[in-house]
Parts: sequence; structure tokens; C-alpha cells
Amino acid sequence: MSQEIAVVGAPDFTTGFRLAGVRRFAEVDDDEKDEQLDDAVSEMLADDDVGIVVMHDEDLNHLSRGVREDVETSVDPVLVTLGGGAGSSGLREQIKRAIGIDLMEE
Amino acid sequence: MAKDVKPTRKNLMQIEDRIELSERGHDTLEKKRDGLIMEFMDILDQAQDVREDLDDSYDRAQRAINMARAMDGDVAVRGAAAALKEHPELTTQSKNIMGVVVPQIESSKVKKNLDERGYGVLGTSARIDEAADAYEELLEQIILAAEVETAMKKMLEEIETTKRRVNALEFKLLPDLRENQEYIEQKLEEQEREEIFRMKKIKAKKEAEERAEREEEEEEVEAVAADD
Repeated sequence: MSQEIAVVGAPDFTTGFRLAGVRRFAEVDDDEKDEQLDDAVSEMLADDDVGIVVMHDEDLNHLSRGVREDVETSVDPVLVTLGGGAGSSGLREQIKRAIGIDLMEE
Repeated sequence: MAKDVKPTRKNLMQIEDRIELSERGHDTLEKKRDGLIMEFMDILDQAQDVREDLDDSYDRAQRAINMARAMDGDVAVRGAAAALKEHPELTTQSKNIMGVVVPQIESSKVKKNLDERGYGVLGTSARIDEAADAYEELLEQIILAAEVETAMKKMLEEIETTKRRVNALEFKLLPDLRENQEYIEQKLEEQEREEIFRMKKIKAKKEAEERAEREEEEEEVEAVAADD
């Protein structure tokens, strides 16, 4: 089964990925993120052809609670965030819950 | 649950069997949990390395594209980006770590030669090429990160369920079963004591009857002797 990479974010963020050949992307302007980002991300999650969703870490803050939880725990497609530092925050929470200690502290 | 059982020897045997089975299951699950956590630690180290590389690549890629944008203008960069013909594709296979199925993602057509990119070489500058290069590298890192992080998520889920099962056995099922066992044992002992007491009562009653009979007979014999 062949899948693709999808990028969700501001036009500035997606352009570079388009240069590398990514053709599935959702562009949401900075001032519309609160309203439109939820839909864009949900659409990518529901798409079977998407294997990896790339987002900027800060954009996660614009998502509503439900969508954010969905995208953080989703395995197919899997979310990779950029620019956030120590791994996606959802993973860190999950580690704390499953193992009992915070293994990701710097 | 504790008082739901009938205090019979058959139930006691059944409960003893269940305790034995649960203890065996508990030990096995505990081993599985520890094994999973050990595997997880390996993956975690790997994931942290990948994360660092990923952040470096992202910084580099961003610098490259900012440079391209500043020197050639936004429109040129976007134009080149829109011209791309080849698209990276992912194929996923799966691998099994201690019963957890984790994906192995393979990619094709991420790295491209200059002539495969699809935009004209003459119309664009070297800076756009550099930016494209940097982003292709970033994509490779992203794919690697996706693989490792999915593996981590799945392992964590498995660890959580295993842990829950271990705890359920240790703190709920086994104590309940032991309570039942204790209850039945106590009941059976009590029944035994009651039985012994009853026997003693019967024995005493019988002895009293026999004595009364004997005395009667003796009295009769005495009476006959007196008559003579």
C-alpha cells in the first residue's frame, strides 16, 4: 500500500515541503487557524492515503481539545511535529501515564 | 463476590485451581510488562536521537528556504514548488516486537536529482536547489521519526494494557479468590466441628438410654429375687 506525506500549516511552512515534492497539503493562514485548522487536520486524519502528517508544534495549540487528542494518539496516519523541541507533547504525557515517570525530561 | 460461593469441597477445589492459574498468568504478564519496558527504553534512546537530528534538519531547511525567498522572491520559490512532478511515496510494512506490531516505513522518490525535480534549471537559482535539497533531507528525517514514534505509541499502549491486567490480577482477582477460599475453608471446618459435636451428643444420648435399660433390667432381676 503506498501512502503519502501531508503537511498542514501556514503557507510559509508548507512551501518548503512542496519544494521537496509533497503534494498533499492544507494551507491555513495564521489569523484563520483557530477556525479552520480543526477541519484541515480532521480531513487529513480521515484520508487513507495519508501516512504521515507534518505540522508545526505551535499549530497544535490552535486545535480544539478533541481534534488535538485524536491527532496526538493517532497511529495511522502518524503525526510528526517540528520545532517543538523534546518530542510531541502527547507522547510525553503518554509515557508518564504508562511508565509512571517522565522519561523525556532534558 | 466473597459470599456468593457455596461452601462445598468441590467449589474449594475449583477456587484453588483458579488461584493457581491466576498466579501463573500474573507472573507471565509481569514478565511481559518488564520485557516491554526494556524494549521501550531502547526505542526511546533511538527516538531522542532522531528527534535531535530532526530539529537540526528543520533549522537548516528553514534557513535555506528563507535565504531562497529573500534572494529570489516568494513568487519564484512558489513557482518552482508548484512545478514538481515526482512525489515521495511511502510503503509500510510491519515488524513484531514482543507481540506488538510496529510499522516499518519505507520511502521512495524523496531524494531527487536536479533534472528530476521538474522545474527549469535556467529559470531558478542555486538557492532554490539548496532549499529543495534541505527539505528532501528533512523529509527523510521525518519518515524516520514517524516510524520510531509510531512504534513508541504502540508499545506504550501495550505496556498500559499489560500493566492494567497485572494490577487487576494482583489487586482484585487474586484477593477475591483468596477471600473465597478462606471463607469456604472456615465454613467447612465449622461444619466438621458441628458434626463432631452432634456425634458426641448422640453418643451421650445412646449411652444414657443403655444405662437406663440396664438399670431397669437389674431392678427386674432384683424384684424377682425378692419375690423368691
